[in-house]
Amino acid sequence: MTQALVEFDTVVKRFGSFTAVKELNLEIHKGEFVAIMGPSGCGKTTTLRMLAGLDQPTDGEIRFSGRRMNDVGPSERDTPLVWQTLALFPFLNVVKNVEFGLKMRGMDAPTRHAKAMDWLQRLEIGEFATRDISQLSGGQRQRVALARALVTEPEILLLDEPLSALDAHLVIRMQGVLTRLQRELGITFVYVTHSQSEAFAMADRVVIMSNGLIEQIGTPQEIYREPSSRFVAEFVGRNNIIEGEVTRTAGGKVTINSPVGSCTAALPSQMKVKKGEPLSFVVSADVISLSNTKPKGENIIACELISEEFIGSVATLFVETASGAELKAQIQQRDLTKLDTSPGARIHLSWPSASVHILPQTSNLQGEMT
Amino acid sequence: MNDSAVENSKGPQGNAVSAAEKTNLFALIWRLPMLVWQSIFFAIPLLFLVYLSFWLVRNYRMEPGFDPVNWIKMFSKDYFWDAYVYTFGLAFLSTVVASLIAFPCAYALSFKVSETARRWAIFFLIIPFFTSYLVRVYSWQIIIAENGVINAMLSYVGLGPFIMLNTAFGSIVGYLTLTLPLVVILQTFSIASIDRNLIEAAHNLGCGRLRTVFTVIVPLAKIGLIIGALFCFILSFGDFVSPYYLGGSKPPTLSILIIDTTKSGQQWPKAAVVAVTMIVTLLVVAFTSVGLAYRKRT
Repeated sequence: MTQALVEFDTVVKRFGSFTAVKELNLEIHKGEFVAIMGPSGCGKTTTLRMLAGLDQPTDGEIRFSGRRMNDVGPSERDTPLVWQTLALFPFLNVVKNVEFGLKMRGMDAPTRHAKAMDWLQRLEIGEFATRDISQLSGGQRQRVALARALVTEPEILLLDEPLSALDAHLVIRMQGVLTRLQRELGITFVYVTHSQSEAFAMADRVVIMSNGLIEQIGTPQEIYREPSSRFVAEFVGRNNIIEGEVTRTAGGKVTINSPVGSCTAALPSQMKVKKGEPLSFVVSADVISLSNTKPKGENIIACELISEEFIGSVATLFVETASGAELKAQIQQRDLTKLDTSPGARIHLSWPSASVHILPQTSNLQGEMT
Repeated sequence: MNDSAVENSKGPQGNAVSAAEKTNLFALIWRLPMLVWQSIFFAIPLLFLVYLSFWLVRNYRMEPGFDPVNWIKMFSKDYFWDAYVYTFGLAFLSTVVASLIAFPCAYALSFKVSETARRWAIFFLIIPFFTSYLVRVYSWQIIIAENGVINAMLSYVGLGPFIMLNTAFGSIVGYLTLTLPLVVILQTFSIASIDRNLIEAAHNLGCGRLRTVFTVIVPLAKIGLIIGALFCFILSFGDFVSPYYLGGSKPPTLSILIIDTTKSGQQWPKAAVVAVTMIVTLLVVAFTSVGLAYRKRT
């Protein structure tokens, strides 16, 4: 295994009596696009700030290519950060902002100007070089901040919710710009966000944090399909998390008695369950099929439609079972017309047992402990 | 609504008052006290002062007139220009010293102490203004006199005595007594309101701590630094208490020149010449500084 670019070795960060990060272990490799995702206060920004040297770990060690970085000041490392607020200098014009990092490194004026102009051209904002920051739009400022961070050609770029202030259509464009840049430059991106769509759209690996701990590390696909804990399943959203009791195991399948009814699920080979044991499983909203008439097969739940949420090509239907349990199902807009979706309509939900993800049992214990 | 406003503005006889006119009237009423106050106590006296500078004095009696003789006489006297240069230089020195002493204090109050400590510090900086400036200047006399507190202490270690009272140094001490707390307060407000992200961004881009002070903090706090300096200059330039009681009136500043001129044979018109010159100087300095402070880029 090659030397990791960044290693967090049991890193702890406390602010007074508050522990922002508890025992963080994480390796980030060269050229990776890692997204750190979690709700506010989960420790994701603190983690990023420790990478930049703006906060020092209370305990543990951060290493860059094997070198201990705990006591290296922020101005002595090459870990540019793209700030949520962008933090562009209002007293400097666009090109001077971009030149800033080079100037601090003692590069002479003509060279650094040329380099800064290169980056502005590359990000398609060359024409605004002599403008004031206040004369730029949000998207243009975003590009200036990116150019300013990348102009020193660092090995690693840190991004702290850089797109959170942009309009939705600009977010998609900037995601494209970021992904393209990262692939072209081959540098490591560490991207902190609370937005699942941003993280999943761009990252090679996603780190989910909660309460200062890493909940799961995996590809977006893994995080989405196989959440390792109830927290991740809930955070990723559009999931139905159902708790029940094992009634039968046979042929790699497990039958669970739950508030929504009796369900069967494919049992992962490494997992052992006993009859009578509590078990939680996840049925992603997008694996559920819907029909007004009762279909054939397994996991068929009769429900009543409560409401629907309709965003673009996908609609989410909220339904209730006879016992009062609520479920949500996602459906393509074109399939919606085939269905009676008047409130109160009878709808049958069904899903294949192979699409069910059983949550590891330990995660329940962990959930109770935190 | 718009139509009626247009009609009213066209027809002067229209007896209905339009909404726009009502708002204007409302705003005018609110502005009126300020306008009246400023006119009675500032604009009119100022105009009178200018007018006074053209009056004549005959047999120790002032006679209204419009003669530039006072201006010509005053501007041709060396002692006037000496006083002008000395006053300007002393006020400028006081401004530089006050700004330099205040900056580290304001920096520390902004970044190195808690919000509560900062509030207390500002409160303590306001307290000196509770007491009379004259009283504070008098107490400095006791401290910096030849046989005063400082020289008494220095004599124990075999130093001194140093002459501090009735020197330019004495004047500067007095000016700082008046202006330093104000400069610290103005600088603190300005530095404390700097977005911390910008400072961290500078560190993040390889700018060391000390360098950040000059490349980021000073430009960001520019308005407060310049306005603080401007206040210091205005107060020092016009002050007569410090140069009189601590500077020993030698050489005289413009403010002392005004007093001397009025005392010697009712020369109010000549004193008015000095006063108008001072006001014009301060206006020029103030406009230049404010222009610098709000200029967009450095």
